[in-house]
Amino acid sequence: MHDPDAEDVAKAGQGDGTAAARLIGRHASKLFTVARRMLGAQAEAEDVVQEVFLRLWTHAARWQPGKAKFETWLYRVMLNQCYDRLRRRSAVPLEAAEDIADEAAPPDAGLDDGVLSQEIGRALEDLPERQKAAILLCHFRELGNGDAAEIMGISVEALESLLARGRRNLRSRLEHLKEVLGGGS
Amino acid sequence: MTGEESDREFVDRALRRLPASAPSSGFEAGLRAGYAAWNADRQKGLWAALVGGLRGLSQTVWPGAPLWVPTSALAVALLVGAGLGAALPVATAATDSGFSLEQPQSFSLVASDMTSEEDF
Repeated sequence: MHDPDAEDVAKAGQGDGTAAARLIGRHASKLFTVARRMLGAQAEAEDVVQEVFLRLWTHAARWQPGKAKFETWLYRVMLNQCYDRLRRRSAVPLEAAEDIADEAAPPDAGLDDGVLSQEIGRALEDLPERQKAAILLCHFRELGNGDAAEIMGISVEALESLLARGRRNLRSRLEHLKEVLGGGS
Repeated sequence: MTGEESDREFVDRALRRLPASAPSSGFEAGLRAGYAAWNADRQKGLWAALVGGLRGLSQTVWPGAPLWVPTSALAVALLVGAGLGAALPVATAATDSGFSLEQPQSFSLVASDMTSEEDF
């Protein structure tokens, strides 16, 4: 199995800035997209990607190409960082948490695209973290079930089950937008 | 269409409505700067490790002395050794005594000095 990143990882570990820039160019924005949807916050997602790359540089010199695909490792680190932040958030006592205004529009309101995407984004953020991760990896990264399962450290069957539950869950949260989103049943 | 397929289609349609999210401008430049900072620290770390190792060794060899003292002593010793090695003539090979512990005498059941069985 040829890993296109392996050579650049080794070079970056030895101080090659061009190889490091290539890795950043190939992966940073894709990582950011998933982290942004996982966390629902731009600045936090950027922090996560920054941490992922810092961890990459410190491990790069010891990277063993045959052991795991680089991209799998990278996404696994990113997901773990997101899980940590989500758990820290939920550990914040309610009194200390900021008031979040309920901006949801009433179901029959004429929704413009901004409001609609806000609603969808919020419904996605409210999903349990592993269901959300499974959906994001398969939708935004367009990864096959095998790759996504490997990133999440679970079997393909477990991933399929997570995906099915996640989609059902998300659909039930967005049921009131059925007409706007089109498609019936 | 099964419930699962219908859920998938619904979710795909919904997620397609999400706007593309892009990191702030200068984000990738920040990542590259992070790499440069890490690399600078790493190089400083390598140099510090080398100096620290030398210092530890010098304290073992010559406790209490500054680093340059054992380093200079070692350099002088190496120069003297190299000078002597170059100046002295190569030692001649020892005369062959015909006996060596490293090369034991050959032995054969049909010894050359026993010409034939008739000698018995």
